[in-house]
Amino acid sequence: MSEPNAGAPAPVARGPIRPPGPTRVEAGWEAGGQRRDGPVVLVDHTPLAKIQVKAAYDGEAARILGVPFGRAVRGGVGDLVVGSGPGEWLALGPPGTQHALRGRLDGALAPAAARELVTTVDLTHGRAMMRLTGARAAEVLTMLCAIDLDDRRTPDGTAFRSLVAHLATDVIRDDRDGMPSYLLHCETSSGQYLFDCVVDAGREFGLVVSGP
Amino acid sequence: MSEPMPMPMSMRLPAQPGEVIDREERFSFSWNGRSYPAYSGDTIASALAANGVRIFSRSFKYHRPRGLLTASHLDPGCTIQVGEEPNVRGAHRLASPGLDVRSQNTWPSLRYDVKSVNRLAGRFLSAGFYYKTFIKPRRLWPAYEKVLQRFVHGGVIPDRPEEHDAEARFYDKRYAHPDVLVAGGGPAGMAAACAAAEAGARVLLVEEEHRPGGHLRWGDAADLTLLAELRERVSAAGVEVMCDAVVLGRYDDNWVAVVERSPAGPAFERLVKARAETLVVAAGQIERPYVFAGNDLPGVMLSTAVRRLVNLYAVRPGERAVVLTANGSGDAAAADLSRVGVDVAAVVDARHGEDVVRADGRGGVRWVELGDGRRVDCDLLVTATGWTATTALLNMAGNRPVYRPEAARFVPDLDTLPDTVVATGGVVGDGTREALCEHGTAVGEEAARRAAGAAEQSGEVPSRAWPGVKGAEGARAPSAPHPKRPDAEGLTPEPHPELIHGRTHGFVDLCEDVTSKDLLSAVEEGYDSAELAKRYTTATMGPTQGKLEILNVVGILAEATGRTIQEVGTTTWRPPYAPVTLGALAGRRLEPVRHSPMQRWHEEHGAVPLVAGAWIRPDHYGDPGAEAANVRENVGIIDVTPIGKLDLQGPDVAKLLNLLYVNKWSKLEVGRVRYGVMCAEDGVVLDDGVTGRLGEDHYLMSTTSSGAAAVWEWVELWLQTEHPDWRVHVTPVTTAYASINVAGPKSRELMERVTTGVDLSPDAFPYMRVRRGSIAGVDDCVIWRIGFTGELSYEIHVPSAYGLHVWASLLAHGEDLGVAPFGIEAQRILRLEKGHLIVGQDTDGITQGYSADLDWAIKLDKPDFVGRPELAWQRQRGDHPRLVGLLPLDADTVPPEGCQLVEGAEIVGRITSSRRSPTLGRAICLGQVAAHLAEPGTEVTVRLPDGRLTGARVAEQLASVDPEGARLRV
Repeated sequence: MSEPNAGAPAPVARGPIRPPGPTRVEAGWEAGGQRRDGPVVLVDHTPLAKIQVKAAYDGEAARILGVPFGRAVRGGVGDLVVGSGPGEWLALGPPGTQHALRGRLDGALAPAAARELVTTVDLTHGRAMMRLTGARAAEVLTMLCAIDLDDRRTPDGTAFRSLVAHLATDVIRDDRDGMPSYLLHCETSSGQYLFDCVVDAGREFGLVVSGP
Repeated sequence: MSEPMPMPMSMRLPAQPGEVIDREERFSFSWNGRSYPAYSGDTIASALAANGVRIFSRSFKYHRPRGLLTASHLDPGCTIQVGEEPNVRGAHRLASPGLDVRSQNTWPSLRYDVKSVNRLAGRFLSAGFYYKTFIKPRRLWPAYEKVLQRFVHGGVIPDRPEEHDAEARFYDKRYAHPDVLVAGGGPAGMAAACAAAEAGARVLLVEEEHRPGGHLRWGDAADLTLLAELRERVSAAGVEVMCDAVVLGRYDDNWVAVVERSPAGPAFERLVKARAETLVVAAGQIERPYVFAGNDLPGVMLSTAVRRLVNLYAVRPGERAVVLTANGSGDAAAADLSRVGVDVAAVVDARHGEDVVRADGRGGVRWVELGDGRRVDCDLLVTATGWTATTALLNMAGNRPVYRPEAARFVPDLDTLPDTVVATGGVVGDGTREALCEHGTAVGEEAARRAAGAAEQSGEVPSRAWPGVKGAEGARAPSAPHPKRPDAEGLTPEPHPELIHGRTHGFVDLCEDVTSKDLLSAVEEGYDSAELAKRYTTATMGPTQGKLEILNVVGILAEATGRTIQEVGTTTWRPPYAPVTLGALAGRRLEPVRHSPMQRWHEEHGAVPLVAGAWIRPDHYGDPGAEAANVRENVGIIDVTPIGKLDLQGPDVAKLLNLLYVNKWSKLEVGRVRYGVMCAEDGVVLDDGVTGRLGEDHYLMSTTSSGAAAVWEWVELWLQTEHPDWRVHVTPVTTAYASINVAGPKSRELMERVTTGVDLSPDAFPYMRVRRGSIAGVDDCVIWRIGFTGELSYEIHVPSAYGLHVWASLLAHGEDLGVAPFGIEAQRILRLEKGHLIVGQDTDGITQGYSADLDWAIKLDKPDFVGRPELAWQRQRGDHPRLVGLLPLDADTVPPEGCQLVEGAEIVGRITSSRRSPTLGRAICLGQVAAHLAEPGTEVTVRLPDGRLTGARVAEQLASVDPEGARLRV
């Protein structure tokens, strides 16, 4: 008797947000829609690798990661490391790299793990993620979020957790080429809901949904 | 009878210097079915007035004809129906092409309204008429109500508004964070906004009119020049200007609610929730009506209304006028009228003791009787008898207004305001346009300075420049406010005669048809305070909420009770400052929902949805009984993704589990799972679920679907407050996994077809074990062998993005095994047959552990766990209700869940779960019963919802099917 699933095509991962238009497979994930431009652009980035790290907020691991609570920094162990809570970080990497990213994190944090409790959890499948970019992106979010998004209060590199459209959401200001850009990050099960709310709020600002 | 058709634009004047209409853009709209021309920029009322229309509505109680009084949003005589929108302020809403505008609650026509017969019964419709007349007999109130509803004054809403023009009914909400919010866009408000913005503050200027400018807009050439300059400065300074918007309320910490009545974009209205560092109240003054006989006739107007009509809309308010004036506004109105060719028959100067006694006429003013006995024929009576400072927002910030008799006005006591609230302009006092701007500038600068200080204190990053903030040297500002308030100097109320009523009685509250006589009656009946008289007569309770009439009410009460106006005081100003639609308060419909990764499949296969909190779950796929039977005979799969899941890591997890669960966890080996129950400190059952040990220091805990968030908080609470020394990390991973229960006698065979890396044989993978492996080619899956349905079953947790793939694979590989999906309803049937309780259904908010048949799980020999003392006491008492299985004596009667169990007149328990068992072909139940009825074989009485009584027998155990558990242990 042959091994179950032998010869079967590799399974395709599907995020919670229905892709716009015809679909294709990228890095093992179902993707859809062409790249589009507009005054405000919304892209589903759920396939990004997402590894959560927990450790003492003021310990060795915190020093190694070098990102304080409420800030997000590019480079280092992940493409983007976010101080998403006191003693809690989220490292992001390209789609399909979660195992490698977790391995890098475990390796980098090994010296700290010898002295304190350091744990990692793969949340790639547990969180939906989307990116809202454009000169008026903050205005779109003011329709849904009570936080002051002015440059002077939440500049590039700011990270916070708040309600967006009444949903607990992590918001990361991560500008792209000088253009205001926000990563929104919520539980997978509500990903489509949040995506739809942002699309609805962005309608009057000319928001377009783009493929990744 | 048809109404006379006025000449089109017969009252339109030649172009005026400050007019806001665009004569190049002319269009038509309809008023009570007839077409009228208008210009862009016209309000509905100004367009109709330009066409000679004088009557716009009928009054609230007596259905008297009413015309323009203020020609602004506050106008009590111009509330109309626009299309499907009722209660529109016609003197404020702009006319637009094709509008269908109608008068409200008039029949057969506005001009000849049958309900005006109420006037004949006016003497019987005094204050308190409703309270006195319809209180007895109480049983007739429903009949009274039906009749009274016919007299309700208001417009008409469509029966099903969501079906009508849904786009137009889109209400919105947004947030704003200005450093300085200026409420009121008159000269002082604009100057304050400019000064604050030029100092570096983010400024939001809110103006109720369609354009800022206040009284400058209808002023002389110098006013218009200054207005243009201020508008230019506002624009250059980057002030965000929100017109046709009103500040509804000021709450703690300057949480300011603003409603935009015509926002940019697709929304119909928008509520703006603003958090302002400093609030500048520049709400100005409102002109007060004068009380005398006939003061509500069409043609009686305030001086500001006349000035608006003439100067903004180029409308001639009448042909022959009498002007009663006690101030500059009245003088200016008389001058305006003369300038545009209206015959000013008399100017009655109240400053010299002159007065108007009454106005009279049918359908409008025809003549006026003056204080010296003269009778003057006219169609327009203009009054300018005083002002009310718009202190509402200041009062909401804690200020109590003080009466200044020499100015006949309540003014704010600025010293009682918090540092974050300042005031400028007419609300503070009077002054020339230059003085108003100077005051506004000083207040705006200080508002910015205070905002800068607040920003500094809040740790704003990065530091920003406040170039115009004095004393800050172009950088950060000192945080302490100036010891002397900037708003307290520079403007003082000018002397003004105290003019409230003449020598005849008239209407005090024109919204509610309350007269000065009504107020005197109220005082005679003992309602002699402002608050009591307000509630008894409904004065100040209409749409204007007292803005026009509050001083008149208080003045009449003071006179009637022999007190001063200060002693009587005002009623309390509370939010909202202006009427607001429920739609604006509701805003966007934002109700988070949650879906599993298999949602698409469920929808495509006809699942009937079940709303369970935020989750949308498949209740069944058409026949839940058949779905349950298939699980008993073959194999079924159910989407159980909503089951709460917590990833627990660390060397002290076992300590945590021992603390939170009532049973023991110290010896749980790697690869095993165990059922656990949590109780709160009071011993009440909190949640249940299974927890598996995946590795030495790694566990996966499951919770009920509805309890996932609460349990996470519960775990964190105990860790963070009681045991911060324990080394445990908790991460909610409920939706990181798609969860599927594969249940039924053929479930092992199905699992073997899709699983790799796990030996599924009974010896290698027995009941209550956990394994990790690959399912349908998906790695990192967790497999629990547990049995909520009472069948051999595997609960698989797969990385969620592969949930749909695994679900489809199971169905594809199990076709010959009879695999079929089953929903929540089938699962509930199966678990009831098996006698598994559901926390929250078979327990409630007072069900302690021993009342849930959990004796076997509660380990009082553990040194400690949450709820232990209460549970020990409960067991010691032994008098608690018991959860038992119940078999109805009539096997075909399924008592609905919640039915009472009774013993005579006493309630002795309730049915907690009930279904017809497809396996047994009979009704089965769980129920909580009093201790003395819990013995197996005891017969209890069930009261059905229709009152009938039926019997049930207490079963040997909770399970009705396979009580030994043989089916799930194979």
